[in-house]
Amino acid sequence: MSGTAPLPAIMIAGLDKFYGGFHALKHIDLEVRRGEKIVVCGPSGSGKSTLIRCINRLEPHDSGRIVVNGIDVNDASSNIQDVRREVGMVFQSFNLFPHLTILENCMLAPRLALGMKKAEAERLAQRFLDRVHIGEQAAKFPAQLSGGQQQRVAIARALCMEPRIMLFDEPTSSLDPEMIKEVLEVMEELADDGMTMICVTHEMGFARRVASRCVFMDQGEIVEIAEAAAFFEAPRSDRLRAFLSQILH
Amino acid sequence: MLISASEAGYFQQLARGAVITMELAVSGYILALIGGAVVGLVTLLPNRAIQAVWRVYASIVMGVPSLLVIFLFYYGGGTLLGGIIDITPFEAGLTALVVVYTVYVAELVRGAMRNVPRGQFEATAALAIRPVGAWLHVIMPQVVRLALPGLVNIWMIVLKDTALVSLAGLNDLVSHAKTAAGATKEPFIFFIAAALFFVVFSAVTLRFSARLEARFGRGLAVAKA
Ligand SMILES: Nc1ncnc2c1ncn2[C@@H]1O[C@H](COP(=O)(O)OP(=O)(O)OP(=O)(O)O)[C@@H](O)[C@H]1O
Ligand SMILES: [Mg+2]
Repeated sequence: MSGTAPLPAIMIAGLDKFYGGFHALKHIDLEVRRGEKIVVCGPSGSGKSTLIRCINRLEPHDSGRIVVNGIDVNDASSNIQDVRREVGMVFQSFNLFPHLTILENCMLAPRLALGMKKAEAERLAQRFLDRVHIGEQAAKFPAQLSGGQQQRVAIARALCMEPRIMLFDEPTSSLDPEMIKEVLEVMEELADDGMTMICVTHEMGFARRVASRCVFMDQGEIVEIAEAAAFFEAPRSDRLRAFLSQILH
Repeated sequence: MLISASEAGYFQQLARGAVITMELAVSGYILALIGGAVVGLVTLLPNRAIQAVWRVYASIVMGVPSLLVIFLFYYGGGTLLGGIIDITPFEAGLTALVVVYTVYVAELVRGAMRNVPRGQFEATAALAIRPVGAWLHVIMPQVVRLALPGLVNIWMIVLKDTALVSLAGLNDLVSHAKTAAGATKEPFIFFIAAALFFVVFSAVTLRFSARLEARFGRGLAVAKA
């Protein structure tokens, strides 16, 4: 892992993805360096979710290559497991396990996927729950928490696998406005700690503060990639200009 | 009303019949549970042939009265085996109940599986939890919760359907009640006693199922409170 040229965290080259006859991702190239924070935005149906779901193989891709920390994302199930251990994911709809307490939600993957002992997993889970400022709710069930709290638990649950990369798919889109802030704050703290992140989000304030680079997608293509300042102040393509004027008003 | 010595004897017979009824119902139900869980999962595989065969088979089995299925196995089963082996009423009844209720359990499991949100499967996958662990710790508890009320219903129906096997000559609770009623000319005593047995077991079932539902509704019941 250490050595001459630092390995990119994620390397995507010539990626194509079809749903039946529908071309959902068209020849995507993207390299994410370690510690980079990438914000992905674009209109509905542009392929943002599909792109990040290909990275941890929730969707298999049809051609091209995805390499995560040196691991080829392909059919080999051992590779898929390895990649999923490196990559945490947070969903728009939280997807917490309703029948388990907050603490148990966070302990499950370390226990099942890493073979961790119960006491150790409990300590780990409590540590990450504290880190997302929800440690005192550990004994509650997901249904007893607000949406913002649930999403923070989902972040803690992913962090318990101690991933090197975190993927976020519109983590605040299903939240009431007053809860968006608490989730974004946790994500910003994570960014400050040096986590490599890809966030699909339309929170432009977050993008300006946190993003190393912003990616604009439309119709399955990456139309524009730029550093946050240039992305917002000097969009090159008409499509991005149109999109930004829509979303910022 | 006093109970004579001969009537007491009939009650002993009734009790023996009740044991047979319970044996039939419990073994039939457990086998149908296992069969239904397996068949339910297999028929959820995305394979067109399996789906098509299942749809036809399930609609046939669910469309035919249980009594006919019992007769089919009792009278037809022996013939099929070339008359070499005699099929007892218990064996025929058990086979019929398992065949019929496996289909009902399978349909229930299929419905419950489809109602577990896709996001639950995706969350386990993204967390690098392997399918067996995901199934045991995340999916199955939710399938059981969704299927439980239906499974309790099926248990009650299986329990009552055992009475049909008396028509194939099984000496169960109902057949002994009929014999005793005919011999003593006291139909009310014996039929009501038999009915009480079913009522008591249904009540016990409901108590027990309420506890199970609380257990598997963990995390959801608290939300309402
Ligand atoms: N499982 C699927 N089967 C068929 N088509 C799909 C599937 N998932 C996504 N698509 C299609 O692929 C395209 C890209 O979908 P995707 O979910 O990646 O878009 P998105 O950019 O995340 O949109 P949104 O902002 O609405 O979440 C859409 O046209 C969608 O209809
Ligand atoms: Mg999406």
